[in-house]
Amino acid sequence: MPFRTLWVSLAAALMLQACATLGEGGASRLGLIQQRQTLRCGVSGKIPGFSFLSSDGDYSGLDIDLCRAFAAAFIGDADAIEFRQLTAPERFTALRTGEVDLLSRNTTFNLSRDAAGGNGVSFAPVVFHDGQGLMVKTSRGIRTIDDLNGETICVGSGTTTEQNLNDAFEARGIAYTPIKYQDLNQVVAGYLQGRCAAMTSDRSQLAAARSGFAKPKQHQILEAVLSKEPLAPLSAGGDQRLGDAMRWVVYALITAEELGITKANVGDWLDKANKQTELTRLRRFLGVDGDLGMKLGLEADFVVKTIAATGNYGEIYNRHLGPNSAVPIPRGINQLYRDGGAMTAPPFQ
Amino acid sequence: MRACKALIRHCRFYPIDSVLSLGVIALIIWVLWASISWIVQAADWSVVSSHLPLFASGSYPLDQRWRPLLWISLLAALTLITLIVPIKRGSNRWMGMVLPWCWVFMIPLGLVLMAGGLGLTPVPSRAWGGISLTLLLTVCSAVLALPFGILLALGRTSDLPVLRHSSRLYIDVMRAVPLIAVLFFGKLLIPLFLPMQLEINQVLRAVVAFALFAAAYVAEDVRGGLQAIPETQREAAAVLGLSPLQSLQLVVLPQALRIAIPALTNQAIGLLQNTSLMALLGLVELLGIAQNLLANPAFIGRHLEVYVWLGALYWLFCTAMALLARKIEHSGPTLNGRSA
Repeated sequence: MPFRTLWVSLAAALMLQACATLGEGGASRLGLIQQRQTLRCGVSGKIPGFSFLSSDGDYSGLDIDLCRAFAAAFIGDADAIEFRQLTAPERFTALRTGEVDLLSRNTTFNLSRDAAGGNGVSFAPVVFHDGQGLMVKTSRGIRTIDDLNGETICVGSGTTTEQNLNDAFEARGIAYTPIKYQDLNQVVAGYLQGRCAAMTSDRSQLAAARSGFAKPKQHQILEAVLSKEPLAPLSAGGDQRLGDAMRWVVYALITAEELGITKANVGDWLDKANKQTELTRLRRFLGVDGDLGMKLGLEADFVVKTIAATGNYGEIYNRHLGPNSAVPIPRGINQLYRDGGAMTAPPFQ
Repeated sequence: MRACKALIRHCRFYPIDSVLSLGVIALIIWVLWASISWIVQAADWSVVSSHLPLFASGSYPLDQRWRPLLWISLLAALTLITLIVPIKRGSNRWMGMVLPWCWVFMIPLGLVLMAGGLGLTPVPSRAWGGISLTLLLTVCSAVLALPFGILLALGRTSDLPVLRHSSRLYIDVMRAVPLIAVLFFGKLLIPLFLPMQLEINQVLRAVVAFALFAAAYVAEDVRGGLQAIPETQREAAAVLGLSPLQSLQLVVLPQALRIAIPALTNQAIGLLQNTSLMALLGLVELLGIAQNLLANPAFIGRHLEVYVWLGALYWLFCTAMALLARKIEHSGPTLNGRSA
């Protein structure tokens, strides 16, 4: 009876593996992450510039670097991450069931996701301010959103994108036919094959997609911005310790850019802070003085470890979305507050 | 010459026919020419050629990549051997004995190679991917679905009313539900019902969902085989003093399964193709890895190349399965005792 032996051995092998994940506990997810010594990070894996698989088989992108920053701050090792690929419909379920510790997955921060009566998740600060736009072929002669009256538009389904499109066009009384696809790559393919006059997605994703086209100049992103899309990492609601720790890791990345602390010079800054006792603000930030890290449930020097692993926010941005990257997106509103953008962090006090 | 004359005469008598035929021939030539010139000239195959190991094994740890590659090559080798070596009763009996056991052995071997253990570094299932994951999903769910499906078929044809009706209810419900709904249930809803810290391996969840679904179809295929066995065979077995269980095991099932092989092959091929649905649910199998690579800014817009490549791969696997099934079908006695 070969089937029976097989069946038993298969079941036994897989059951053993299932049991191996049992027996983890802890009040806050943060404690669990530190006890487990790995961070389970939910990512998309399918968004150029934000998260994708590079040719050597590693994940790369802005969302990925945020996971690495969290892992460096929580565990002290930026590589102690298990990436889980999640599609848009399953991401909140995966968070609620604890399959992932946190999401760094192009998720728009809005009220119904944040509120306890909605998805009930807890958002970290915005790491990329985006907005939904429309891309058309220049040859079609479409200049404004009103020129799209009666046209077909390619859109990804099951996201806020679809709803924003509907809201914006309803408000202007413009008729349109949506063609819905499962994910952005299919939307792009549909648009390139000429199935629709325009495609809609977040402007960052439109820019990313366009940079891969054979003739990028033949495509134009319209001026109209249909929505605010502040993208932020998030954790399950009701876990203040993990939420706080994530929040202040993002703030640390922004503060480091404000101060000019980079991946390369963070060691020099630490020396400087150690030697000069009068630099109280810097000493607090880098964990030389005080117990800011401990208050969060992290090591005192979590900022140093984070910056050493990924660099500051500006470095992460430039690595994946800067002018010399494969997907250049002008920094615009994502610049520091002092440069005219919206990125700012409360004091480390 | 005579053929030419006949053709010309035919053309004179049926002009519309001839024009249509010429048009279709021209169309076929044009399509072939366009496809071949695209494949040879226009397409940029670097997105495929530079990622072959990723297509094979996904983001499996780099230093352990030989394990999924070894498993795939062993499977390929075994497939070739099985297809080439003639299996006839009498001659080459040794091969006929060893090969089935080799196939059976491939499944635990694949699991051990992929998951680790027995001295190999453990690799968690979320790092599995590519062709190796696609094949593992197919093989494991097929192996689970077959015995379960046979039991369901026996239950469905049983004389015991409770067993018969419950088997029938299960089969009817499963066949009425779309596969994607079953997979969503397994992937998204089951974790919600489980206690917070209990987590079932996501590959196992997928395998079980596939197996539960496929079992309903397997059951109906096997039932078809069972009904093709004349009642006289059971009676003859009973006369020979075989118990009902022995008659089932030695007389009815072997023949019924052989009759069901073409239908079961259909299920297996369908199962292989259905594993691509898991790309929608976050498993990085063959389709999933292709979608990840397409997001790499260096390769945006190379959809056509990647999907043509995927089509070729799926075609290859399905054809191999079909050929193997034909081999099994032709390698033993048929219902009438003759070798086909």
